[in-house]
Amino acid sequence: MNNIQLLLVDDEDNFRQTLCKRLEKRGFALEQAANGEECLSILEKKPVNVVVLDVRMPGKSGIDVLRNIKDRYPKTEIILLTGHATTADGVEGIKSGAFDYLTKPVEFEHLVTKILQAYEKIQRLEIERQEAEYRKKMEQQMIATERLASLGTLAAGVAHEINNPLAIIKESVGWMQQLLKKDELKDIPRRNNFEKALDKIEKSIERARRITHQLLGFVKKSDSAFLEVNLNELMEEAVQLIAHEAENRSIDILKQVDPLLETIWSDAYQLRQVFINLLTNAIHTIGSKGTITLALKNAGDHAIFTVSDTGQGIPGENLEKIFEPFFSTKSPGEGTGLGLFVTRGIVEKLGGTVEVESKIGQGASFCIRLPKKFGLNAESIGNSTETPSDRIRAHLENQDNREKNHHD
Amino acid sequence: MIKIPTRVLLVDDEEDFVEMLSLRLKEVGEKVTPAYSGKECLAILEKKDIDVVILDIKMPGMDGIVTLREIKNKFPLVEVIMLTGHGTTESAVEGMKLGAFDYLLKPADFSELTAKLVAARKRKDEQQERIRKAEAKLLLRKSGDI
Repeated sequence: MNNIQLLLVDDEDNFRQTLCKRLEKRGFALEQAANGEECLSILEKKPVNVVVLDVRMPGKSGIDVLRNIKDRYPKTEIILLTGHATTADGVEGIKSGAFDYLTKPVEFEHLVTKILQAYEKIQRLEIERQEAEYRKKMEQQMIATERLASLGTLAAGVAHEINNPLAIIKESVGWMQQLLKKDELKDIPRRNNFEKALDKIEKSIERARRITHQLLGFVKKSDSAFLEVNLNELMEEAVQLIAHEAENRSIDILKQVDPLLETIWSDAYQLRQVFINLLTNAIHTIGSKGTITLALKNAGDHAIFTVSDTGQGIPGENLEKIFEPFFSTKSPGEGTGLGLFVTRGIVEKLGGTVEVESKIGQGASFCIRLPKKFGLNAESIGNSTETPSDRIRAHLENQDNREKNHHD
Repeated sequence: MIKIPTRVLLVDDEEDFVEMLSLRLKEVGEKVTPAYSGKECLAILEKKDIDVVILDIKMPGMDGIVTLREIKNKFPLVEVIMLTGHGTTESAVEGMKLGAFDYLLKPADFSELTAKLVAARKRKDEQQERIRKAEAKLLLRKSGDI
């Protein structure tokens, strides 16, 4: 009960001071006020959990003060003290949001119990509020994740549909170029113009093709596609995607690739996501002007990928939290708080580990360790088909169970 | 040196694509038969001698993978090159496990396609040659037995 901050409001000095002493002996932190105005000015300066409030006071009546308090400090609970003949005030008070009322003369133990009950109510409401907030955030994120997934499907569909006409254009241009090479067309007028125009079409097709293929590359078709993966190529691809952004922010990207590292057996689609998540995080944390160092190392049965940035670093107390879902230090709307959660989910699913090292002011370094032959040995792909959205669902279910237990 | 044309069966539901690519392949001296569905492809293989099938994976009705399985089942010597959108490289890999010679991403590079055609044709010829030799040996052994 030592955490409970009380405020006792009564115009009878003797009564108030005696009660204060007794309550202080019980370990309550206490403020006192002789009237409504004084009470409200104390509340302005200091957060109070429970107000014990006399109804009959000169000046502002207890009921008015109660309404004022409830209006401005909805989390504060109020216990009213009424005269024996004026229990109607108490009822009126409860209607206006008081926790309860006690009739004078007050039985001390009774008052202490009421105060404790009022405080419990505050705590319960706070927990419920936090849970509701957490739940809402979860649900929003799930909607966002699903929306993103369907957006991905749509993008893939569009890209696919574009590829077909693109293929027709490409073959048609190619056909014309073949024809222009023929002897019979050797001397046609304005030959250069044709060649130049066809060349431009051809280059544009190549550009569009790169876009559609990139778009399609990000959409995972089936649960697991284990293939030989060239980490260096994957890294290059991810760097290409963020190169423009990095350049705009004057961020240099350095690459160190161990020539001994060959291809590994893993899921390229998922790993691509890991590379991109880590790179975008590095860019966001640096903001502008800095260096990102990417390294690929060969380590026996494992490949090691590290991303180091020259950003502000991660405070020690956050080092574990950064992998939790929805933990984000980015401003709302900028980060989903899912990046590192998903990253770790993917890496662990692929049999690897993620480690982070960071010191304030000295940047951060994320180290991904991946087995070179995951899924080729006895421990197969099948036992770890859990996707990030499964994990979110599991999280929500846990939450539900916790709530159930709480209510039971 | 006289080029012996490769007998190509080009299968894609996009008629314009088939038309243009056929023109180009004919231009470089190949013999091209068009088909616009998996069914049509199989029907043509029954009647015509084909060296290499260029097969689109994504087709309505009988898709490329099903068609490929049928081709490899009934005409194991015919080589198949799969055409795929980037998002379906997994089916391309599946196709190769089923015996396709190789695959190309759509829109494909013409010189890459012709290079793969040459390689596929070569493999088919070599395979045929091995079979011929094996048959000859068998014949020889049989006549030796007599």
